[in-house]
Amino acid sequence: MFKKPTLTTTLIIIVGFLTLCPVIMLLLGSFSKDFVSFGQFTTSKYVSAYTDPDFADILLNTVIFTVGSALHATLLALFLAYVNTRTDLPFKFIFKIISIIPMMIPHILFSASWVLLLNPSNGILNRLFMSLFETRDALFNVYSLKGMILVEGLLDLPIAYLIIAPAMSAFDVSLEESSKVCGASNWRTLFKVTLPVLRPAILASAILVIVRSLASFAVPSVIGMPGRIYVLSTHIYRNISSGFAADYGLAAAIGLSALGASITLIYIYRYLTAESGKFVTISSRGFKPTLIKLQKGKYPLLVIVGILSFVLILLPVIVLFYISMLPYSMPPSARAFSLMSWNNWIDVLKDPISLLSLKNSLFLGVVGATLGTILSIFVSYVIVKIRTTASGLLESLSFLSFSFPGIVIGVGFMWFFVRTPLYGTLTALLIGYIATYLPYGIRPLSSAFIQIHSTLEESSRVCGGTPFYTLRRVIIPLLIPGIVSGWILMASMFLRELTLSVVLSRPGTEVLAVQILRFAEDGLWGRLSALGIIMIFISSLLVILAAVLGKKFSKLEVVDR
Amino acid sequence: MKKMVVLLLGLILLPGLLSTALAADKVNLYANITAIEPIMADFNAGQSAQEGIYTRISTSKYLATVLTEFSAGKLQADVLQGPLPILQMLKEKGVLTPYKSSSASGYPDWATGDDTIIQFGIEYVAPIYNKELVKPEDVPKTYMDLTDPKWYDKLVMPDPASHATTISWLIGLKEAKIFGDDAGWMKFVKGLAANKPMFVKSFGPSPAPIESGEKLIGISMPKYIITKAPAPLDWARVDTLLGTTRAMALAAKAPNPNGGKAFIDYWLSAQAMQLLADKVGEYVLTPGVFPPIDGVDKVKVIPIRQLSDEEIRHWGDEFQKIFYQ
Repeated sequence: MFKKPTLTTTLIIIVGFLTLCPVIMLLLGSFSKDFVSFGQFTTSKYVSAYTDPDFADILLNTVIFTVGSALHATLLALFLAYVNTRTDLPFKFIFKIISIIPMMIPHILFSASWVLLLNPSNGILNRLFMSLFETRDALFNVYSLKGMILVEGLLDLPIAYLIIAPAMSAFDVSLEESSKVCGASNWRTLFKVTLPVLRPAILASAILVIVRSLASFAVPSVIGMPGRIYVLSTHIYRNISSGFAADYGLAAAIGLSALGASITLIYIYRYLTAESGKFVTISSRGFKPTLIKLQKGKYPLLVIVGILSFVLILLPVIVLFYISMLPYSMPPSARAFSLMSWNNWIDVLKDPISLLSLKNSLFLGVVGATLGTILSIFVSYVIVKIRTTASGLLESLSFLSFSFPGIVIGVGFMWFFVRTPLYGTLTALLIGYIATYLPYGIRPLSSAFIQIHSTLEESSRVCGGTPFYTLRRVIIPLLIPGIVSGWILMASMFLRELTLSVVLSRPGTEVLAVQILRFAEDGLWGRLSALGIIMIFISSLLVILAAVLGKKFSKLEVVDR
Repeated sequence: MKKMVVLLLGLILLPGLLSTALAADKVNLYANITAIEPIMADFNAGQSAQEGIYTRISTSKYLATVLTEFSAGKLQADVLQGPLPILQMLKEKGVLTPYKSSSASGYPDWATGDDTIIQFGIEYVAPIYNKELVKPEDVPKTYMDLTDPKWYDKLVMPDPASHATTISWLIGLKEAKIFGDDAGWMKFVKGLAANKPMFVKSFGPSPAPIESGEKLIGISMPKYIITKAPAPLDWARVDTLLGTTRAMALAAKAPNPNGGKAFIDYWLSAQAMQLLADKVGEYVLTPGVFPPIDGVDKVKVIPIRQLSDEEIRHWGDEFQKIFYQ
C-alpha cells in the first residue's frame, strides 16, 4: 500500500525512540554502581539478582500466576465474546460494557474490593457461606495463588475481550457451515475450524495478559504479600524497599528477565501465526457475519452470563460504592448502614487537586489514546502485512517498555526525561503513556488486520485509489472494531495509569491515579472509592462514545439469520 | 518550515521556561508525609508572600528522584524532608546546604546538633487495636503480650523482611533493652512470628484490616487514630514507644533559597508543629506540644538509632528466616 521499506524504517525510528530511551537508561543503571543511570561500571547487580536463593521459587510462582491469569482471562473472554458477538442473547449491549468494566477500575481498588469479599477472616462472601452452611471454614481464601489468579484474570479480562471480540465479530460463519455440511459435529467444527481461525486473536490475548500480569504490582502486593506469596514484581519491590537507598539499577537487572520472557513470547506468537493467510476471513468474495439463534437456550444462558457478570464484576463495584459511603471500612451491618453519608464524595468533589487530576487525566486519556491509535494502525499494518525481519524488530520494540515491571519503567522514563525540557510536564506523561502502552493499540489492530485479505487493497489500487484513499475508504472502515477496541484499551489505561505517573507527575500535572495512590497511602478508602467510581463513570462514558462512533462508521453489520 | 521549527521548539521549551519564571515566589517542599494540607494552607495564608507547593514522593522513590534531578541540574526542591538516613545520604552527595533555624531553639540537642539537618519529629510505632472487638482486659500491656497465642492469625504488620522502618523498629526494641537482654528480645521476635501475622507492604495499609475487623491488632502508628477518625482504633498503653526520626533541610541549589528558609522557619515553629500534632497526629519535638491522643503525653517516646542500609538488609534476611518459616 505504502512504500513499505520507508514506512517500516520510519516506524522503527519513531517506536524505537519512544521505547528504547527509558530501557537504555535502565540498562545503564543496571550496570552502574550508583543510584543514578550514569556511574562506575559494575556487574554486581546482575550477580546479586540472579544468585538469590529465593529466585527459583519466585520464578515458579510467577509462571503459575501469569499463565493462570492468562488462561482465566482468555477463556472467560472467549465465552463472553462468543455470546456477545455471535448469538442473539438479550441485553448484549449491557454485557459488552460489563466485560470491560474491570479495566476502568484502579487495580489497587479492585484488589482491595476482593479482599473485602473473600478474606478468610470476615470476607462478605465467606461470612455468607459460613452462615448458610453453618461451617467455620471459609469458602475461598483470597490470599493465595488461586486468589491472585482470580483477581488478575478479571482485571485483564477486558484486554482479552477487546482482542478476541473484534476477531469473533469478523468471523465468516460460512466456514463453520462448510464443516457441518461435510459431516463434522459441532465440537469437531469448534476445534478444527472456529478455534484455529481465531488462533491469532487467542494467542495475542494470552500473550498480552501474560506480559501484563508479569508487570502487575497491585494484585501481588494487596493479595500476594499478605498471603506471603511473592512473584517477580513484589520480589523487585522487596529488593528496592529493603533499605532507604532504593537501587533501581538492581530492580532493572531483575526486570530484564521479564523483558526476555516477553520478547520470547512475541517470537513464539509470530511463529505460530506465520501463515497469516490461513486466518483471513474478510476478503473480496463477500462477507456476511451472522447471528446464531439460541432458541431454547436463550434464557438459561442469559441467567448464566448474568450471574457471572454480577458476581465477578458488578459485586466488587458495588462493594466500592458501599465503602465510598462509609467513614471507615467495616463489614455490612445495621450500624454500617446507619453511618452512611455522602461526605467522602463531597470531600473529593471539593478537593482542588482531585479536580485538576480529573481534568489532566481526561486530556491524557482522549488525546493520548487518539495519537496512540493512529500510530498503532501504521505499526500493525507493517507487522501483519509486511512480515519481514524488520517488522519483527518493530513488533519487539513496541513491547519493550510494556514488558518491564511497572515499578521500574517509570524510573527509566524519569532518567530519560530529566535530560529534556519536557521533565515535569503533561507532554512527558503523554509520550510515556503512548510509548509504554502501544501494545494495547497494536494487539487488537493486528488481530483485525490479519483477517483482512490484501486483495481488497490491491483492488482499490488497481482501480486507481491512492494509498491514503485506500486506507481511508477500504481498510479503516473494515478495521473499525479493532480501532475502537484499541482506543478503548488505551483511553481506559491512560485514565488510570499509575506506574509512570507516580514518578513523572509533579504539582500541576497531577493525574487521577496519583491522587488515588495518595488516598491509599493515607488509608482514606472512602475517598479513594468515591474517586474510583468517578473514574469508572468517566471511562464508561468514553467507552460508550467510542462504541457508538464505531458502530456508526463500521462497515461490518452483523445480520440476523 | 523555519516557522514550524521555531514553533515546535517553543512548545517544547515553554514548560521549562515557565516553571523557572514561576519558581521565584514559590517554595517547593519534597516530602512524603500524610495529610499536611492544613499546614501548607496556613503557610500560604501567612505573611511571607510565598506560595508553598508540596511535591509528594514515596520513600522508595525519594532518593532515586532527588539524585536524578540533582545530577541533571533539575532539582525543583527548596526544602527536602524525609527519614534521617535519606537526608544524611543527600548531605553526603552535596544536595543539602547548612541552615540553622531560630525556630528550633527549644528542640532537644540531639535533634539540632547537625549544621544542615534538623530533626523535628518521631514516626512513633505502637500496637494498635480495634477497640470495638478487643475486650479491655485483653488489650496488651507490654510488647511481650503480643506473643500470646490468643493473637494467632489476628495480627497485621508491615513485612519485617523488607520494610526498612519495621526492621529498624524491631532492632530499636533490642537496643532499647525493652526485653532486658537479647535472649528476651529474640523470644519476643519468635513469639510474634509464631502468631503468623499478616504482612502488608508498609505502615500505610496496616490500619485498614484492623478497622474493618479482618484483624484485631497490629504493629502500626498511633497517628492513624487521628487521621482515620472515627474508625474504632486505639493504641495499647505500653510504657515506651520507638520510632525513626523525621528531618528536614534546605536544598543546596534551591531555586528560591530565601523562600526555603522562610518555610523551614515556619515549619519548625510551635504554630506549625501544633497543627502537625493536632491534624496529622504526629509526635513532634517542640516542647509541650503533643498529638491529641489519650496517653501520648505521658508515654516515653524515643528515637531509634539510624541503621545503615547494609544493617537493614542483613536484619531483613534474618527476620525472613524467622517470620517466613
